[in-house]
Amino acid sequence: MSLGKFNGVLFVFGALGVWQLVAMAEWVNPLIVPPPSKILKIFFDLVGSGEIPRQILVSMKRAGVGYALAALVCIPLGIFMGLSQTVYRSCVVVIEMLRPVPPPVIIPVALLFFGLGDEMKIFVIFFSCAWPILLNTLDGVRHLDSVLLNTARSFGLSRTRIIWQVILPDCSPQIVTGLRVSLPIMLILVVISEMVGSTDGIGYFVLDSQRRFKVAQMYAGMFALAVLGYSLNQLFDLLQRLLLPWHWRMMRKKDEG
Amino acid sequence: MNRLEKFNWPGWLVFGLLLLLWELSARGTPKLQLYFPPVSQIFGALVQALQSGPLLSHFAVTLMRFCAGYLLSALLAVSAGVVFGHFRSIHHVFATAIEFLRPMPSVAIIPVAILLLGIGDSMIVTVTIYATIWPILINTIDGVRHIDATLVHTGQTFGLSHRQILWQIIVPAAAPYIVTGLRIGLSIALILVTTAEMIIGSKGLGFFILDEERAMNSANMYAGIIFVAVLGYLLNRVFLTVEARALRWRHGMTARDAA
Repeated sequence: MSLGKFNGVLFVFGALGVWQLVAMAEWVNPLIVPPPSKILKIFFDLVGSGEIPRQILVSMKRAGVGYALAALVCIPLGIFMGLSQTVYRSCVVVIEMLRPVPPPVIIPVALLFFGLGDEMKIFVIFFSCAWPILLNTLDGVRHLDSVLLNTARSFGLSRTRIIWQVILPDCSPQIVTGLRVSLPIMLILVVISEMVGSTDGIGYFVLDSQRRFKVAQMYAGMFALAVLGYSLNQLFDLLQRLLLPWHWRMMRKKDEG
Repeated sequence: MNRLEKFNWPGWLVFGLLLLLWELSARGTPKLQLYFPPVSQIFGALVQALQSGPLLSHFAVTLMRFCAGYLLSALLAVSAGVVFGHFRSIHHVFATAIEFLRPMPSVAIIPVAILLLGIGDSMIVTVTIYATIWPILINTIDGVRHIDATLVHTGQTFGLSHRQILWQIIVPAAAPYIVTGLRIGLSIALILVTTAEMIIGSKGLGFFILDEERAMNSANMYAGIIFVAVLGYLLNRVFLTVEARALRWRHGMTARDAA
């Protein structure tokens, strides 16, 4: 471990230590700020009893469906819009009108249509993840090297083959960027939609713990969310390394350079 | 190019047709009207809400919270970012904590903020600051890191003071990155303000929209959404204008580079 990293870890433990002491000395209301040791104990209790994993599973099912739908709809739509100027010009006004809507504001609309069920969260996640994926795919296709396309056409490749063998590989970095940007958005929106209208899921769990004044349990839920966010990022990196190894190496080089 | 040529006829035509389709189908099937009131009715509700005042006062509250949260977080994040970017050892101390806090979805902080600060303006502003700090901070650190070391060394050779190096070399050179962070922060701040208003609110556009949905006044709900969208759009526009002015030197530079 480098000295820099050591300092960082030291700082985290130092801060947690101060928190522990302050909480134990009851300088702040222990009902509001419980000591980290208690939070950690409750966290492990809740993981052991299956409560936190169950809530996370419920949330991730909603998030996964919404995210997958957004990818399935928006990547083809982005390619389609990027290839045809007419389609692009026809859709762009509607898109520009919808895009500035902050995603949480869609929750009431979804509530109106779908009630409190899973569909409501899935729709909200779909709506908010759609933009980065669509716009990045579109950007990738529109900035495609025209020589590539023309070469493929001269060789008489069919439209499907051009899409699969030229466009998709060439645009995959932008598509991946869109998917990557949507990942934290997905997590944020599942939490928000569960806070506003739900009876389960990790977002509901955290807000409900606060409302019932189970403060340590609330912090344990937040800790679980941090772990979840971190794991999702790692998982995404792993998939990217497996599926797009050349792109991964390119990004690494750029980061180091 | 003249304006007429630039105008996107097919786009506006599609948009207009969709609105017309909405209007006609809503009028045709009364059952649909609960969810999709005719567009004309929504605009009627918008005009009425604007005239009678409640929408405007909700808007003012939201705008105030947004501005306070956004400006404070920009101030905090840019200064912290410059320090972290310039002094590696200081950054190392906080790096692990940042790496741990950043992946947590920022809205998860809302319950804690309610607990510590109650359900007033200060809670909403704090939550907004917390969430908006991350993109600005990370981009600023990145920008300061990517400054050509020659620039700073040249400044030192010419005997510039620390303060001069900071203001005349580091901040301008990192500006493009900082601006990117600020731009991402803009939409995040709006998301956080409206979310917090939905969860605890008794005021603000987020509250208004959710409240109208609960009262089944869907025309008012859509009117509120249009209002928020316009707000988001205008904020972005203002930002772009300010950016173009503040970074005018940069546009000149890149244009010269291209020539």
